Amino acid sequence: MVIWIILLLMTAAAVMAVLWPLSRHRGFTAQQLDPDTQFYREQIAEIERDRERGALLDSEAEAAKAEAGRRLLRATGMTAADAFVALGEPALRRRRAASTLALSMIPIIALALYGAYGSPHFMARPPERQAQQQGGNFDLMTAVSQIEAHLAQNPQDGRGWEVVAPVYFRMGRVDDAVKAYETAVRYLGPSTERLSNYGETMVLAKDGLVSAEAQAVFEQAVKLDGQAFKARYYLAVAAEQDGKADKAKQAYAELLASSPEGAPWAGAVKQRLASLGVEQPVAGQGDAPQIGAEDIARMVSGLAERLESQGGSPEEWARLIRSYTVLGQRDKAVATAARARQVLAQDNAGLKTIDAMTRELKLTDAAP
Amino acid sequence: MIVEAGHFALALALGLSLIQFIVPLWGARANDPVLMSVGPVTGLAVFVCIAFSFLALTVAYVTSDFSVVNVVENSHSAKPLIYKISGVWGNHEGSMLLWVLILALFGSVVALAKDSIPMRLQANTLAVQAAITIAFLLFILLTSNPFTRLIPAAAEGQDLNPLLQDPGLAIHPPLLYIGYVGFSISFAFACAALIDGRIDAVWARIVRPWTLGAWAFLTLGIAMGSYWAYYELGWGGWWFWDPVENASLMPWLAGTALLHSTVVMEKRDALKVWTILLAILTFSLSLLGTFLVRSGVLTSVHSFAVDPERGTFILGILILFIGGSLALFAWRAPMLKQGGLFAPVSREGALVVNNLFLATACATVLIGTLYPLALEVVTGEKISVGEPFFNLTFIPLILPLLLLLPFGQTLAWKRGNFLGTAQRLYAVFGISLLATIAMFAFEYGGPVAAPLGIGLGVYLILGSLNEIVTRSWAKGTPLSVAWRKAANLPRSTWGTVIAHAGVGLTVIGIAATAWGVEGLATVKLGERIKAGDYEARLERVVPRTEANYREDAAVFTIYRQGHELGTLESMKRLYVTRGMPTTEAGIMTVGLGQVYVSLGEVQNDGSVGVRIYYKPLVLLIWIGSVVMALGGGISLTDRRLRIGAPVRAKIPAAAAVPAE
Amino acid sequence: MTRKQRRLTLIGFAGGVLALALGLVLYAMNDTIVFFNSPADIQAKNVQPGTRLRLGGLVKEGTVQRGADQQIRFEVMDAQATMQVHYKGLLPDLFREGQGIVAEGVLESATVFRADSVLAKHDENYMPREVADTLKKQGHWMGEANAAPKTQ
Repeated sequence: MVIWIILLLMTAAAVMAVLWPLSRHRGFTAQQLDPDTQFYREQIAEIERDRERGALLDSEAEAAKAEAGRRLLRATGMTAADAFVALGEPALRRRRAASTLALSMIPIIALALYGAYGSPHFMARPPERQAQQQGGNFDLMTAVSQIEAHLAQNPQDGRGWEVVAPVYFRMGRVDDAVKAYETAVRYLGPSTERLSNYGETMVLAKDGLVSAEAQAVFEQAVKLDGQAFKARYYLAVAAEQDGKADKAKQAYAELLASSPEGAPWAGAVKQRLASLGVEQPVAGQGDAPQIGAEDIARMVSGLAERLESQGGSPEEWARLIRSYTVLGQRDKAVATAARARQVLAQDNAGLKTIDAMTRELKLTDAAP
Repeated sequence: MIVEAGHFALALALGLSLIQFIVPLWGARANDPVLMSVGPVTGLAVFVCIAFSFLALTVAYVTSDFSVVNVVENSHSAKPLIYKISGVWGNHEGSMLLWVLILALFGSVVALAKDSIPMRLQANTLAVQAAITIAFLLFILLTSNPFTRLIPAAAEGQDLNPLLQDPGLAIHPPLLYIGYVGFSISFAFACAALIDGRIDAVWARIVRPWTLGAWAFLTLGIAMGSYWAYYELGWGGWWFWDPVENASLMPWLAGTALLHSTVVMEKRDALKVWTILLAILTFSLSLLGTFLVRSGVLTSVHSFAVDPERGTFILGILILFIGGSLALFAWRAPMLKQGGLFAPVSREGALVVNNLFLATACATVLIGTLYPLALEVVTGEKISVGEPFFNLTFIPLILPLLLLLPFGQTLAWKRGNFLGTAQRLYAVFGISLLATIAMFAFEYGGPVAAPLGIGLGVYLILGSLNEIVTRSWAKGTPLSVAWRKAANLPRSTWGTVIAHAGVGLTVIGIAATAWGVEGLATVKLGERIKAGDYEARLERVVPRTEANYREDAAVFTIYRQGHELGTLESMKRLYVTRGMPTTEAGIMTVGLGQVYVSLGEVQNDGSVGVRIYYKPLVLLIWIGSVVMALGGGISLTDRRLRIGAPVRAKIPAAAAVPAE
Repeated sequence: MTRKQRRLTLIGFAGGVLALALGLVLYAMNDTIVFFNSPADIQAKNVQPGTRLRLGGLVKEGTVQRGADQQIRFEVMDAQATMQVHYKGLLPDLFREGQGIVAEGVLESATVFRADSVLAKHDENYMPREVADTLKKQGHWMGEANAAPKTQ
């Protein structure tokens, strides 16, 4: 509401600026009404002064004065023809017309254009939040630069590299994250988890492509620990990307079989299998009820409805976004992310969760 | 809230501009002073609105309001304050807002100068100004709105293009825009004179300061841009004949011609039609420059076709104003009265020659810039027109102009005496020739162009200073008298002399680039790289982290013939938010020359690719440009009313003082 | 001199200068203009070795070899062909494998190009015009969104 009052006041001021000169009869100076002859008179006086100071020779001054005089004569003849007319009925009519024009045109144009392109409902975010957020960012930046300074001094501190790597990743410095993991592996030695993270970052740096180097890293991780789920998953993805569908199917199936109950990656793996054209076993394999694709879809839509009607935690929103991605419905995921941001606008940490999720899922077109 | 108010103010400015366009024009036709007086007040109101709008955007940048798309795309909360502010115009939308802000600023100055401008001329001028403002406000509001919101707001911005995070680029666009847009005033005055059907010395007197001011700023803007390209792009070059650079050079050439033709018009009431045409062409070239840079047509003719909204809009503006003003010109110009007469050999004649060469040179630049675009549109064949083309066409056209410059400056108004003038330049010829020969002897076997160019520069400087000498000193005059006389010369004379001397300095700087030497090598710590007499030793490489970038700074010690001169730092930066690397050349100034070191990639074994240049007298290129602008500024302070009087041939040469 | 004579002098002089300029432009157009080609164009058009041209395309992954003294070799490719490029000097900041570049120089043989300058993408809004067009035509263009480094 306040904004409209301000905009209204601005419009009024603008209209007044136009009406003001129309409403008064002011005197016009001789200079304004007849500037030409004035100009040449001053020019002649100037020539005279120059002559007195000795800047001009007499003969030159005479010649210059003669020229200026000729122009003066011409100018005098011209001004007589067009005297100004500020009085009388037609002048009054003209003023009224101009006032009407100003009164109508300025507000109409301004409001129409602003109405079409402006966002009057959009109030600035509360300043505290802004400041807080900036503070948060700043802290992160300082922390990172402190770690970096430390690492510049002690480049062999593998722990430091391992700590900074995921932070780099979250800041969007994916290539740095890869380098940091690489260094950490070099100094701390290989471990399953470290190698898996290293490889995963490499994959994400290449927009999901499992490169030959990444594959080698995952293979090393699997060598260390045959159970390494993440590494095995990416190796399967690599096989799929290499066009070895059979190998990929087998790897996915093995991964699924050896995964613990309710493992977070199970959904993704099943999705992959489905995309490779493998029917999910309908029965058998223990007594745990198998969840079919339809059931998943039903659960997802239930979650979506609940979140929409009753709201929910950031984690739940994030889960929904991920589910849509897994189901291959990226557009829905993008829409959900936008919706979540809107709902969680007041929740700083929540927003970060959503941001992290969209980044993880590479929903970059949704992330502004 | 202030962002919304700023957005609304922009819409309000559009409504006001429409009034500013219609009412004064009507008033001038009806000869009604009341209607005409609406012009100045609305002009001021438009300026206030746009200034508020600009302020609102600046506030959004400074407070990092990431609910504004423009801020998100071009700012970052960790960016230093100065780049938060310069980021306002470091992008398309903001720079267009700056463009109209300057336009409105000039309009409001015209509005305030009510006693020195005839009322009808002022009313028509403000109306034409308003028409330009309307077009660009519509362009901003409809296609390039800087106030578009982002819902929900982003958490962090994407940072300004690192190449633009530089003090040089913080001030380059405003300077350039003041120049570009300043010519809109000359244009508006020209159109107003055509609408009114009257043009005379009074007109020239009023227009000249505007042209002069715009020209001085454009000169500074171009020089600034060139220096920025020199130290920031890391290639060691200072002019690339890039279409973007040509876009600013063309209005400068036309503006320089305009500046000289208004002098003729003011003093001798001649060359009216040509001056009007030049005023129109100069601003048209400014518009063309804006179009080339802003439409994306340079990146790709096809990208223009694919995303046509902005490009088409600005092309429409271009056609409307250039076509409209030229049509007005064709219709009205034949009605203008012919002015004063002059002999071919005279100051006026020389200025006509100046205009001819400048206009032709400008035309060749135009051809070189537009031909590849036209060819691609017509045949699909892609070509690049680069330095060799411009060296072959532009330089042969500028050289005769420079050679004739001191002559023209020495000739008398109305009718001059070629031999008499040549006589007065004997000493100048002699000294310049000696300088050239000395240079040849000194640099025996070196490049031929450098001594010749330096001779030309010396000739230009002495030739222009000669004017002061001959006008204040003759054989037997005591020095004190001569000094007083020189000090009493009109400021415009001093301005001319200084600006022309600036041209000479720039020519020397350019000529001396032929003596530049360079070296290229891969060096390890402690190793040296050599360019001519100069050597750089790589001392250490220091990694650093700043708020929004990280860099590897290589520290070099510079030696000349084995003597240590000091150290310089050359950097390779990575701007993390954009993941974009930049090279920051290390520069050490030695006298008027510079040692310039730029880094390549750091190799795995710790060695670094390094390129070193030694560029003698290179600073003169920019010092000369600044001196030119300074000359323009001094001339601007001259409030005197001048008339060009002829000199009789009989007067002995020593006493022949061309009157001003 | 009469007004008419003066005018004729002026027109004559102006005509002379314009003719000079025209001559220079035409001469320069013949001599200095460099055509832009992609590797496929060079093969298709059968360009003669020794011709000066601009070569544009993507730097092929894994082909950049650095020799001693800033000697660099790499391959530039488009969808149909590749071309070996030799260059001595510092590479621009944004030179990377997989990145679009323009090299200017002389064709040495049907498959080898000696460059004397190499331009890389200047910033994400600037792509050498020719490269962008060629890549788009061949379907290699990824658009600004992907070409821009990851944000946030």
